[in-house]
Amino acid sequence: MPTIRKWCVAALAAAGMMLSGAAPAADWKPTKPVDVIVHTGPGGGSDLLARAVVTILEQEKLVPVRMNVLNKPGGNGAVAAAAIYERKDDPHTLGFITSVWLANALTTKEAKITIFDLKPIAQLLLEPAVFAVRADSPYKTLKDFIEAAKAHPGQLKQSGGSITSRDNIVREQLQHATGTKWAFVSFPGGGARLAALLGGHVDIMVIEPQEAGEQVRAGKLRVLAQLSDKRLPKWADVPTLKEAGYDIQTTPQIRGVVAPPQMPTEAAVYWEGRFAALVKTAAWKKYVADNELEESFLPGKQFRKSMDDTSKELHDEFVKAGVKVVR
Amino acid sequence: MELLTGLLHGFQVALAPASLMMCVLGVVLGTVIGVLPGLGPSATIAMLLPLTFKLEPTGAMIMLAGIYYGAKYGGSTTSILLNVPGESSSVVTCIDGYQLARKGRAGPALGMAAIASFIAGTFGVVALMLVAPPLAKVSLAFSSPEYFALMVMGLAMVVLLAGDSLVKALLAMLVGLWLSGIGTDLFTATSRFTFDTVELLGGIDFIIVAIGVFAIGEVLGNIEPHEAPSMIPVPKGLRNLMPTWDDMKRCRFAFANGSIVGFLIGLLPGAGATIASFISYGLEKAVSRHPEEFGKGAIEGVAAPEGSNNAETGGALVPLLTLGIPGSGTTAILLAALTLWGFKPGPLFIQDSPNLFWGLVASMYIGNVLLLVLNLPLVAVFAQLLRVPSYAMFPLILGVSIVGVYSNASSMFQLGLLAGFGLLGYLMRKLAFPTAPLVLGLVLGDPMERALRQSLMMSQGSLAILARPIPLTLLIIAALLLAVPLFRRLNAVRMQVLDNET
Amino acid sequence: MGALARNGDFWSGLALAALGAYIVGTARAWAYMSEDGPGAGFFPTWYGSLMIVLSLVLVGRSVLNRAALPASRPVKWREVGRAFSCWLAFVAAVALMNVLGFAVSFALLTWFIIAVMARRSQRLAISVAVGGAALFYVLFVVLLEISLPTGYLF
Repeated sequence: MPTIRKWCVAALAAAGMMLSGAAPAADWKPTKPVDVIVHTGPGGGSDLLARAVVTILEQEKLVPVRMNVLNKPGGNGAVAAAAIYERKDDPHTLGFITSVWLANALTTKEAKITIFDLKPIAQLLLEPAVFAVRADSPYKTLKDFIEAAKAHPGQLKQSGGSITSRDNIVREQLQHATGTKWAFVSFPGGGARLAALLGGHVDIMVIEPQEAGEQVRAGKLRVLAQLSDKRLPKWADVPTLKEAGYDIQTTPQIRGVVAPPQMPTEAAVYWEGRFAALVKTAAWKKYVADNELEESFLPGKQFRKSMDDTSKELHDEFVKAGVKVVR
Repeated sequence: MELLTGLLHGFQVALAPASLMMCVLGVVLGTVIGVLPGLGPSATIAMLLPLTFKLEPTGAMIMLAGIYYGAKYGGSTTSILLNVPGESSSVVTCIDGYQLARKGRAGPALGMAAIASFIAGTFGVVALMLVAPPLAKVSLAFSSPEYFALMVMGLAMVVLLAGDSLVKALLAMLVGLWLSGIGTDLFTATSRFTFDTVELLGGIDFIIVAIGVFAIGEVLGNIEPHEAPSMIPVPKGLRNLMPTWDDMKRCRFAFANGSIVGFLIGLLPGAGATIASFISYGLEKAVSRHPEEFGKGAIEGVAAPEGSNNAETGGALVPLLTLGIPGSGTTAILLAALTLWGFKPGPLFIQDSPNLFWGLVASMYIGNVLLLVLNLPLVAVFAQLLRVPSYAMFPLILGVSIVGVYSNASSMFQLGLLAGFGLLGYLMRKLAFPTAPLVLGLVLGDPMERALRQSLMMSQGSLAILARPIPLTLLIIAALLLAVPLFRRLNAVRMQVLDNET
Repeated sequence: MGALARNGDFWSGLALAALGAYIVGTARAWAYMSEDGPGAGFFPTWYGSLMIVLSLVLVGRSVLNRAALPASRPVKWREVGRAFSCWLAFVAAVALMNVLGFAVSFALLTWFIIAVMARRSQRLAISVAVGGAALFYVLFVVLLEISLPTGYLF
């Protein structure tokens, strides 16, 4: 009768689900402490992000074991990549990557293991940036700066990271688009770049909005434009590059998680799930808002595609900028 | 006066039982970390960060700061007793500290390190308190041309570390410069001298060279004679454990030197305590009336660098707290901690968070006193370590070196490098090449090259950028330093000529 | 005597000159000067060249002075041999750490130094070796949770 039919349908449906292998229930869980490998020393960007993520994961009880951050600095991620690769199928190892790893894969011959040899788990964030000048400088808009650069080619200076960094790529793109030229001075650390700008030794820099925030509040810096597609909430009255009149496709600064290449599928699925859950928590949202980052969660496969696209863009930019590309 | 009210308020905060306990915890932890080679304050602070969320921010900051400057006190212990630098900034202390230990004066050396650290550390806090905001402007005025000139002056000090053969000292320094440049070039992204190895892309870690050349080289040198050399004499009696009044008098200038040089260099983001200790040491030797004692166990050679690496902590907090600019890895973590707790280090920090600033300053006074009280009796404890017979000392030093390097880098490759540098240290001893210039070149080479190239990028290739007042002064001092041996040589020749004539 | 002293400076001078030549040679592959200022090859070229010059001075001096030098102590090759074998033991210990782990390798190294190099009794050597390794293990691995190389044993 009707009830029995309902039961049969339910039983068949359940059997169907189990057979199709859709999201098998209680499967893999980590059983020993997990190593999270980062490519900076303690206090570096990746290190701090990893520690924050680990803390939130533990506080929200998303992971049953301890997670340790392991620092493997060197070679802009090459040493860390090799370290992750070595752990072949270890499900208790993860790594945090940034776009620097993508740039590195393109320019460094010695990096025999690159990010593309590792298993992508999830993309977590995008890092926006803004153009900033000193508050007492004569440039009120980005256009003012570009005009000044046009009038004095090669004399204005921008502080930034290495020539493969986003700071320089954006500069090259702008120079190309406007037919101007200004110098780029590399500093290894964000603090030194900011000090150079504040001290009047350079004229402009690309800086993370969170770092700029305090300086703007104190009246020391002025933000000219933001490098993102939409205006960030805290910088509602600063134009984006497009709005300022420069149609530049800025390569995103990605931050994501990878794993050893042969990590078993159940483990990879588990981790993907954990990070998907992480980005839904209030603690994460607060972290992102406090640090003025951009949420951008992409699970494994889409993450890989995002990496490929970004890598291609970087490749073209490097070639145009004259940076030696080896892959 | 606003200063006094701020300070009084700060002491109220710092003397509250909870804060006091945090201070004690911080400085004790810091001392332990400093004593153990390889385990640095930055790694420890980073590990403790998540725990601090459960604590009240002011107390947590007091503890973390305590670890930061406490580690500087402890770093001299293994430097003096084992010739193993406990912290990268304690490398210079090895030079005279270990020689003092060999002469039976380990106690006074350790005691002087603690005393000099206290004096300079306190000076650093006073300076931080009094002149932080205006000094922030000074730290901003220093840019690449000034850094370049500072590094050149530091390298010119090689002539002071030369000992008998200037040629050999210069050669050692040049090898140091070469080692410094190994890795990825920042400006062009080319890899230099990496022999196609991934592990060398990040350059050679300074502490591996220092521990290898100093500690392991020394062990290999000492193991040569069939009969184990006599143990390092153990000082007997309390009088022999502490520096004498004579020592204190001799070190008067060293105290001032260490305090001022350390603080000023700490102000400059990126310059670092190691550079400060080298310059302080060089300066001390330059003005000393008995420079020939340096390198053989001059107590000022311990007081000056130990003082300066402590004053540097106070200096480094200036750009951190008044500009939000971290000068080193450790200060970067402190900055991250402050941001995580919701504070906003920057030009408005002192106004916005007077509780934290003044509480921190007051706790640093207390912390320095605590450290002095803690470290002086420890001298007696550590001096007992010297009772260990040499055949057990050697494995101890080798083991500590391995742990020190591995805990930093977790890599067998780095241990291999350590072994290689150990052999180099031994060879340098046998061939009479001074080792300090090698370390000097290694520390200053890359920053100096970077500073020069940045300067030329800023000036579009014109060397005139170096003619600004500060770089010019420093370069002139460097030139004078280099001219000294020339004068001495000419003088010696002149004396000989005069002798021959009479 | 004099010859030996000359040998020390002579050979180290030659070795350093060779290193300098290697540096300058390798640096030629990099840009010496670019439009943005000195390139990657600038500094290495300069300090490499200086290294060649100074090491040749060293060599020259040692050759010229061989007559004038007082008879210095002969090199005690036996002692150098001791130092070298100690170094080899260290290298072996490091190489074994991946296989045997820190504790065991360190114990072996300690035993070697005490029993072979210092020629103390086996009992002393073994007890200090085991005791020392245990102390290191407890202090660093257990108490401080610093990771040390672990082999197949522990």
